[in-house]
Amino acid sequence: MRLRAWLAERLPLDDVLATLRHKRVPHHEYSVWYYFGGTTLFLFAIQVGTGALLLLYYRPSAAEAYESVQFIVARVPFGWLVRSIHAWSANLMVASAFAHLFSVAFLHAYRRPRELTWMSGVLLLVLTLAFGFTGYLLPWNEVSFFATRVGTDIAATVPLVGHALVRFLRGGDDVTGATLTRLFGFHVAVLPAVATALVALHLLLVQRHGMSVPPSVERRAAADPGAVRSIPFLPHFLLRDLFAWTAVLAVLASLATFYPSELGAKADPFAPAPAGIRPEWYFLWAFETLKHVPPTVAGLNGEFVAVAAMGSGAVGALLLPLVAGRSPRSRAIVVWICAAALLFMGGMTMLALRTVTP
Amino acid sequence: MTTGNEHPQARRSVVNWLLGLWGGGVLASIFYPVVRYLAPPDVPEAAALSVTAGSAQALAPNSGRVVPFGARPAIVIRTPAGELRAFSATCTHLDCTVQYRPDLQRIWCACHNGEYDLNGRNVAGPPPRPLDPYDVNVAGDEITITRRS
Amino acid sequence: MKRLVLAAFVLLAVDTRAQTPPETAFEDDVHAAAGLTCASCHKTEAAGAYAAPARTSIAPLCASCHSDAAYMRTVDPQVRVDQYLQYQTSTHGKRMAAGDARVATCSDCHGAHGVRRVRDARSPVAPANVVTTCGRCHGDPARMAAFGRQATHPAEWAASVHAAALIKRGDTSAPTCVSCHGSHGATPPGVTSVANVCAQCHLREAELFRASPKREIFDAIGQAECLVCHGNHRIESPADQWVGLEKGAVCEQCHDAAGDSGAAIRDIRQKLDTLQDATSTADARLTRAEHAGMLVEDGRLALQLAREHQVQSRALVHAFAPAPFAKTAADGVAAARRAREAGEAAMRELQLRRQGLGVATLLVLAFLATLWVKIRRLPPA
Repeated sequence: MRLRAWLAERLPLDDVLATLRHKRVPHHEYSVWYYFGGTTLFLFAIQVGTGALLLLYYRPSAAEAYESVQFIVARVPFGWLVRSIHAWSANLMVASAFAHLFSVAFLHAYRRPRELTWMSGVLLLVLTLAFGFTGYLLPWNEVSFFATRVGTDIAATVPLVGHALVRFLRGGDDVTGATLTRLFGFHVAVLPAVATALVALHLLLVQRHGMSVPPSVERRAAADPGAVRSIPFLPHFLLRDLFAWTAVLAVLASLATFYPSELGAKADPFAPAPAGIRPEWYFLWAFETLKHVPPTVAGLNGEFVAVAAMGSGAVGALLLPLVAGRSPRSRAIVVWICAAALLFMGGMTMLALRTVTP
Repeated sequence: MTTGNEHPQARRSVVNWLLGLWGGGVLASIFYPVVRYLAPPDVPEAAALSVTAGSAQALAPNSGRVVPFGARPAIVIRTPAGELRAFSATCTHLDCTVQYRPDLQRIWCACHNGEYDLNGRNVAGPPPRPLDPYDVNVAGDEITITRRS
Repeated sequence: MKRLVLAAFVLLAVDTRAQTPPETAFEDDVHAAAGLTCASCHKTEAAGAYAAPARTSIAPLCASCHSDAAYMRTVDPQVRVDQYLQYQTSTHGKRMAAGDARVATCSDCHGAHGVRRVRDARSPVAPANVVTTCGRCHGDPARMAAFGRQATHPAEWAASVHAAALIKRGDTSAPTCVSCHGSHGATPPGVTSVANVCAQCHLREAELFRASPKREIFDAIGQAECLVCHGNHRIESPADQWVGLEKGAVCEQCHDAAGDSGAAIRDIRQKLDTLQDATSTADARLTRAEHAGMLVEDGRLALQLAREHQVQSRALVHAFAPAPFAKTAADGVAAARRAREAGEAAMRELQLRRQGLGVATLLVLAFLATLWVKIRRLPPA
């Protein structure tokens, strides 16, 4: 008790507790989607924890990276578990972040005054994908080496600065040990710093504005203020969150035990690319799209057109709350566009999986 | 439900107690692997890139020594001129382990009489390729051989 | 398939030689490079009306330069000058000297106007082509019938482990006709000297054989050393089943189950089989562990060692005695056992992981169930 008094005198402990006690979360038929944000945050925390553990044994150089990962998996007690959890948690985090993004879009939670919450969220998704891309190369195995070579090559289609961009990403003209060191630096220092700042901003904004209520529920509330319930954040919502997190943890442990992350053969920069090179599943749709564009579209390089289209899609997603109108009609347009994007990405992923599996 | 209404406080404390028990178990199953992971493993580091190959003094000119290198053997030789060299000791013909022949001043494979010169080049017999060379360093009296990556 | 390609390649070479006018073919000839002209060989004819020299005079014609050490040194200081000498000792040379023009002479193998160095891969006597070149006569039943000889040897060689090494693996050190029979001095090796021929490469086996009791016995009864078990032209990859007393085994040709030798043969075979079983079982265990996502490097190292002991123990069969063989085979079995244990330990570890996961999952489920009850019982908001 004395410790608490000591702390309360120095920290705004009581204010925080009071705020949390008074904080309420709307409770309605769509509130299940609220949990994806918390799940993504939980997976991010797991990534930070397991990532720090992996750093104790990992060595970021072309000569030693593969051997050190092999050492972690084979010699360090529970190293296999830490590595597999890190890999699986990365996959689930991408999935959960995508689910969060699309649910927020479909429920129109990006509306005033939550524009910045949405934009920081989109940036966080981009960062998550960047985490995935930079982390993929770190075991320095055959599959990741060639996938990184193909992936960084796409940057070359950007006009004017394309070549410089590829050199920046690779730390040279080709994927080498320099690329490994560089992507390692991004993965464990640059990206985490930016991501932590953005997560803090995102959470602060969520706290400031509270949970958004979908327009349909809002209308019902306008007609009858008693129709929309809400539950206290502490403990009702937090316990539910805890439930979801524990369930996710159990799923992660099972995936890591039954489907441990494979290591494969060590990368050999001079070997020919093996068959069946493909990126992580969340980049498959882009990979497949690039395969299907014709060499030239309307007199332009086809690959450039596809990359430009995807780039403007990303920019459009970022600026969605600024360009979307307030009328129900423009909200319907947003729903249709998001559904089309979801369908396109899902379809392309299916197509890629179908052509690879047999 | 009558009992529940009579002792809601007692019921809740049972639930809390169980929650603490199971929660403690869950936390233990998270932290046990982490603690085990943090404890240094028996073999302190990955050693697939270089191995020690014994005393340099003990290796006389015009002699050789076969040492394990990861999952394969390696051979360290001292040439008649006194220079140390190291190669993969797996014959490029049929995977037998080669040895040094002081009388021939060559690396020799007993299985099919294959011969390699002091630079590891295949010079006689069936071997189709030279032996892979390794780098040799001597620290104090200890030879260390390193795979070229 | 490879053989067909090889045959087609040589036929093509023969064809182009046939179609190319001699003066054009000669432009590429090593002799042209050395400054020789048409008249250097076609000495008696007037320019523009050259006729082929008589077949019996070709070898002496070539030898007029190639056996002249002083002259050859001016062209290539390292070149050998004993080919004609050797040719005269060969069956080809002896018959030719006796006036039989049907047998091979220099130009039959090396060509006449487009002669290339033997190390040139396009030469008909380069390692990859030489069997086809010999086979033009020695694989032709019509030609060989006249000499009362069989024409099956090139085809038999093509089915051998040596042909596979040359054609499939491109190992140009693999033996062809000339490796055993000689080239210019071509003649069948004698029965007692064949081990010397094989020992050019199979030194370890030959050393063991020469030190074994078999050697004296074989020499005494006039048996052909290596050939008795391995055959001559169609030398196949040896199998452990060759050691045995049942039909199809090679020992069975002379030995039966009676006596010490029968027991020794059974013993060696049993140890070979045990080693083979041990390595393949270990390999299967390691592969299963690897498929389950485990790394079993130590096991693979032990298996590699077991395989090496297996290669060595198979060579040690040629000592025809249980002593050195038994130890190597036992070492191999021990190494294979270590490999198998590594694989089994990995599978046990996997089982342990799953049990651990089971306990953790039960705890999580109990926690979730209790948490659910707790959430249900929270006071209404």
